[in-house]
Amino acid sequence: MIRVNRRALLGATAIGAAGLAAPALAQPRWPNRPIQMIVPWGAGGGTDATARIVGSLLERDLGQPVNVVNRTGGSGVVGHSAIATAAADGYTIGMITVEIAMMHWQGLTELKPTSYTPLALLNEDPPGVQVAQNSPHADIKALADAIKAAPAGRFRASGTGQGGIWHLALVGWLQAMGLRADHVRWVPSNGAAPAMQELAAGGVDIVTCSVPEARAMIDAGRAKSLAIMAPQRNPMFAQVPTLNETLGINYSTGAWRGIAGPRNMPQDVQRRLIDSLKKAYDSNEYKEFMSSRGFGVVWGDQAHFTSFMAEADKAMGDAMRAAGLARG
Amino acid sequence: MRLNDALLGAILLGFAGWVWWLTTFFPAFPGQDYGPNLFPRILAVGIAVCAALLVLRGLRARGGLLVLEGWARQPARLLSFLAIPGAALFYILASDPLGFIPTAFLLLLALSLWFRARPVVALPVAAGMTLLVHWFFAGMMRVPLPRGLMDPFL
Amino acid sequence: MDPLIQALGLVFDPYVLAVIAGSAVFGMFVGAMPGLTATMATALLVPVTFFMSPVPALGAIVTATAMAIFAGDIPAAMLRMPGTPASAAYTDESYAMTQKGQLNLNLGVNLVFSVAGGLVGVAVLIACAPILAEVAINFSSYEYFWLACLGLTCAVFMTNADPVKGFLSLFIGLLLATVGIDPAAGFPRFTFGDVDLMSGINFVPTLIGMFAVSELMRGAVTVDAAGRMVAQEVGNIFRGVGAVFRRYWFNFLRGSVLGTAIGALPGAGADIAAWISYAVSKRFSKEPEKFGTGHVEGIVDSTSANNSALGGAWIPALVFGIPGDSITAIVIGVLYMKGMNPGPTVFQENPQLIYAVFTIFVLANLIMLPLGWAAIKSARQILRVPKNLLLPVILLFCLVGSFAMTNSLYGVTLMLVMGLLGWFLEEHGIPVAPLILGLVLGEMLEQTFVQSMIKADGAAIEFFTRPIAGVLGVATILIWVVMVGRAVRRGMAPRAA
Repeated sequence: MIRVNRRALLGATAIGAAGLAAPALAQPRWPNRPIQMIVPWGAGGGTDATARIVGSLLERDLGQPVNVVNRTGGSGVVGHSAIATAAADGYTIGMITVEIAMMHWQGLTELKPTSYTPLALLNEDPPGVQVAQNSPHADIKALADAIKAAPAGRFRASGTGQGGIWHLALVGWLQAMGLRADHVRWVPSNGAAPAMQELAAGGVDIVTCSVPEARAMIDAGRAKSLAIMAPQRNPMFAQVPTLNETLGINYSTGAWRGIAGPRNMPQDVQRRLIDSLKKAYDSNEYKEFMSSRGFGVVWGDQAHFTSFMAEADKAMGDAMRAAGLARG
Repeated sequence: MRLNDALLGAILLGFAGWVWWLTTFFPAFPGQDYGPNLFPRILAVGIAVCAALLVLRGLRARGGLLVLEGWARQPARLLSFLAIPGAALFYILASDPLGFIPTAFLLLLALSLWFRARPVVALPVAAGMTLLVHWFFAGMMRVPLPRGLMDPFL
Repeated sequence: MDPLIQALGLVFDPYVLAVIAGSAVFGMFVGAMPGLTATMATALLVPVTFFMSPVPALGAIVTATAMAIFAGDIPAAMLRMPGTPASAAYTDESYAMTQKGQLNLNLGVNLVFSVAGGLVGVAVLIACAPILAEVAINFSSYEYFWLACLGLTCAVFMTNADPVKGFLSLFIGLLLATVGIDPAAGFPRFTFGDVDLMSGINFVPTLIGMFAVSELMRGAVTVDAAGRMVAQEVGNIFRGVGAVFRRYWFNFLRGSVLGTAIGALPGAGADIAAWISYAVSKRFSKEPEKFGTGHVEGIVDSTSANNSALGGAWIPALVFGIPGDSITAIVIGVLYMKGMNPGPTVFQENPQLIYAVFTIFVLANLIMLPLGWAAIKSARQILRVPKNLLLPVILLFCLVGSFAMTNSLYGVTLMLVMGLLGWFLEEHGIPVAPLILGLVLGEMLEQTFVQSMIKADGAAIEFFTRPIAGVLGVATILIWVVMVGRAVRRGMAPRAA
């Protein structure tokens, strides 16, 4: 069956290929075998789910299987370096995440956004401010006042590991309020879900993960979301206000995901992939899937993604230095 | 193969010391007394204590430094034993350049022939199992098994 | 919709039922082959289940292990070789029965009481797990820290090996767990600049190495040795089982309850459950002199116990994410891969999945009756599969399975290294089970410790101020005191040669 598909595809693309430059004639046109999409995070998580829906949409458009391959561990270093070091032939691409703008500041890797051929930005999720259902702070204003009034270290927050994106979100918010980065004590956790469990058990006061990640505990009536750190409200969680409209703090950040390949991918392959990604992004399946999970959608083409990452890299570097998390 | 408790303990003592030495390069956790080096150090001490007990016990019991069972003295059986890790090593080295299918086929065939299977049986079993595993893992499960030499045909 | 009805819909789906049937046959085969263990069956299943949705994935593991634990009794009765370590406790007894001409009754008792014991274990699991989960929702890092300590202590306490070697194994496992990015400061430890090592010592390749590859190495040495098959024909295996049940119903209940409880203790699984309930049976029997001569009483206790332990082991695994045995240690990994983080929240977020696991457990024990009968009938053929073909094929499964877990040769390399290490340790009488538990619980232990210390601002007393944490902490420390006391007394006493 695969054989038939491939032949049909070759036939169909032969006409288009005829006009292209010499390398395209010498080699059968890309793609003529399965493509690997590397995901630096585990199966079942949000990044994995996003990669799988994008992969299945790419597969339909490109006519070749797109295999999602999880290369996990090392806070994302393993998968990100597998994408960067793969052969730049277009048969290995990957989903890169906000950590690529953070890990090198921590001295975990040499890799940074410029180690890749950016293709498209697909998603961004802002952090929320979650407290336990029985928390004495009814809204974000009350919480912010309580934090300012309390001595440093009284409040405890969690959401991810030391120096992770949700830690930086907290640091950025505190600094925007004119407080020191360690005014609220950070309790490192192994991801958002265990942090939410700590919140429900009364171990921490605040969790600054994204609202979709906190959703299960909110639905179970154990936690509530007081605000999100984004320019606009999320239509999926319309009752949660932004920091700007409540505290007048214009601070926003977020975890983002995009597709990239190793550096120096062939131009024609890049074009074909970007077209295909745009189609996937515009499809109803993608939109429906992302909204069912509560994930934000955002499109950034190659140029936008490149400048977006450069800005993110600088902003993260500043935040991490301010928080004393940068090394070397 | 069995080392004397004293020798085993001595090796483990050295290992624990090496672990401790490695932890001296770990940075401190800003603002706290317990950093990344705390747990490895506790464990290094734990291993060292157990190792010291083994050394004492081994010295008290005496006995040879190394005990070899019967099979380890028979070359054929020793080779059978080494064939398993050897085959795994072969897979690690060969699967990328050769691809999964040739590597797995050669591995199965060579091992079963070494274990005295009849070639009439070993050949179809090796070929059949290779294709079955490849179909299941690479086809159904989409594990990126290396394509190697078979790249043009898959 | 009612989660229970949803769960039934999830389980009674043709695909799921086909997976259950397939893994039942696989489990029977692996269990019946001496040298292939139930843990190995699970380890080899994981790469396959990795790509399934949660219900068939868990169904495959539940079914295969239940079948394997029973099927281990078959070669014990026929060849005097336990098919899995869980049958080792009563292999001699069982073979002695066969030699007395009671092969049929022997197999019948093993099958029926395995099924019944398994059902008791499931019943306890269904009754206890949701209640415990309600309590556990209020657990914070202090409680989890003590639970992890308690689990690790049990692991050493329960092994038959000498305590020094048990602790050594545990410490090595915990040390292996520290490889990679540390949970507090995010610093890469013991990676020597290697990117793969930053992801840590991956659990499944380690398990495949320690339980499967080291076993293959031992098997390769004796590949030409075959057991001697008994000559008796298998007839009606169910005749006389009813009489045994009427006479020894109390033994059955005692064995099942004991087995479930031991299964639920971290670190102790079906094999230890069988050993202990066999010993208990002998201790309280009216005719202890008959034990060892082919007496059915001890078999009733222990064959019920090892199957009931399976259900028991799932209780701490589902509720706390702390494995009850090496099989559920793998299950926890699978749950994480499926995004169903074990812990009390899974009971709230995915109750239908929990009910589906319960349903599959019941189902697996019920189909064990006909499938077990079929396995007994075809035992001669199963036991005749030539080792010289089987060994290489299993090695290939190990290689591909390890590869699939990391999608790179790192998994295979790790499997090889851990296989050699596991073999080396076992050669020196150092059990590998505490090592595996240490590897699984190491991160939880360190993470919860660091979290607790940060929350408490360094005040150790905080570890005891929450009521449940206080009870758990005091219990753990008491066990340590008892253990040290015993070790000291043993050290003082004159050493037996």
